Amino acid sequence: MMLLPLILAIHAGPADAELVARLQRRDPQALGELYDRYGRIAFSLILRVVRDAGIAEDLVQETFLRVWNRVQGFDAEKGAIGPWLLAVARNRAIDYLRSASGRERNAMEFEESDHPALYTDMEHDLLTSDRARRVKAAMQKLSPNYRQVVELVYLQGLSQTEMAERLGQPLGTVKTWVRAALKNLRDDMGVVVTA
Amino acid sequence: MNHEELRDQYDLYAIGLADEDAGAEIRAHLSRGCEECMLQMKHARELSALLSATPDAAAPSPKLRRRILASVGFEQRRFGWAPWLGLATALSLFGAFYFSMREHQVAENMLVLREQMRRQSIELTRMNEAFSILSGPETVVVGFGQGPKGKVYIDRTRGVLLIASNLPPAPAGKLYEMWTIPKGGKPVAAGLFQSESGGTAMHIQPGAVNPNLATVAVTLEDAGGALAPTSTPIIAASLQ
Repeated sequence: MMLLPLILAIHAGPADAELVARLQRRDPQALGELYDRYGRIAFSLILRVVRDAGIAEDLVQETFLRVWNRVQGFDAEKGAIGPWLLAVARNRAIDYLRSASGRERNAMEFEESDHPALYTDMEHDLLTSDRARRVKAAMQKLSPNYRQVVELVYLQGLSQTEMAERLGQPLGTVKTWVRAALKNLRDDMGVVVTA
Repeated sequence: MNHEELRDQYDLYAIGLADEDAGAEIRAHLSRGCEECMLQMKHARELSALLSATPDAAAPSPKLRRRILASVGFEQRRFGWAPWLGLATALSLFGAFYFSMREHQVAENMLVLREQMRRQSIELTRMNEAFSILSGPETVVVGFGQGPKGKVYIDRTRGVLLIASNLPPAPAGKLYEMWTIPKGGKPVAAGLFQSESGGTAMHIQPGAVNPNLATVAVTLEDAGGALAPTSTPIIAASLQ
């Protein structure tokens, strides 16, 4: 069950390039196929953030519309549309969460997801790769504090200062937890991060 | 800041949550094409994408796909329930028509049956009245002949019964009318009747009979009846 989103995205890969080309030709059927590939995983992600199925569906719709409107800037030969779509989905959800709780929107967040060119050089089958399974396993291995800060960062868009207030911990402690959690994740996944 | 100092910030920068100073530094590195920062940002974006795939699977409403396509002006042809609704409507209309016709037919049959029952009931009543007169111990029987033949049965308390044969059906617009004529008095109308196709007829005038009754006669009159005989009697049965 935990791996279902990844299985649903099983068709991601080289076929994405042809799909992107059709999206750029404004073929609505291509949008339907894009939804068939990434609709459930985008919904699962947004639902995890906003915790309301009705709102999640509205945000999924916004996500696909945004991708439809900005797909002209995406180079399918150099990148994968799936990670870009999920970044848009995540930011739609977090933007909603921040608006609902009176927090400020983060301009950088939007810059990242609104520019598909930033997702070049990313593996086409990233979401179906073994690394996707390993990151889930690595998340489960994290200590509760570390897992909590990762979720607060990635799934609720909290800054380190906001997390410190939320958790009632000193900012330094939270920064340490975030740093350690990300290091553990990367170590567990075998990703070498050079300084 | 050098790359070691920025190391923890790339992941946060990728999702827009880096410290302000670190974010500005990373932007500056990227804008001058720093290869190390480009590589770190690629890893950071990949981690962000991978973490986005970690929530448990959930299924949106089946309508969401259609909503999304409609929002870009693409309406899918939907068959769904439409044919079934159409079929159900057609069946309903056919059923309503069929049962309406059936109901109409049943209602007509009921009317016919009621009319038959009414006639049979009248006939049975007549037969009972005739039988009671025929079987009355005080009943007087008077025959008549010459043309129409038959008998008149008179029971002073129950009424007068006329049974005739050889009596041709009355012409169109005409009926036979029976009269009871008391001794020394005027004829009293005693009901209209028609003969059967075989020339037979039975007519009853129920009720008490005038004790001075002298003659029972039958004349041919207009269908509406007459207050007094207007033609020569066809039948005349005299009690004396």
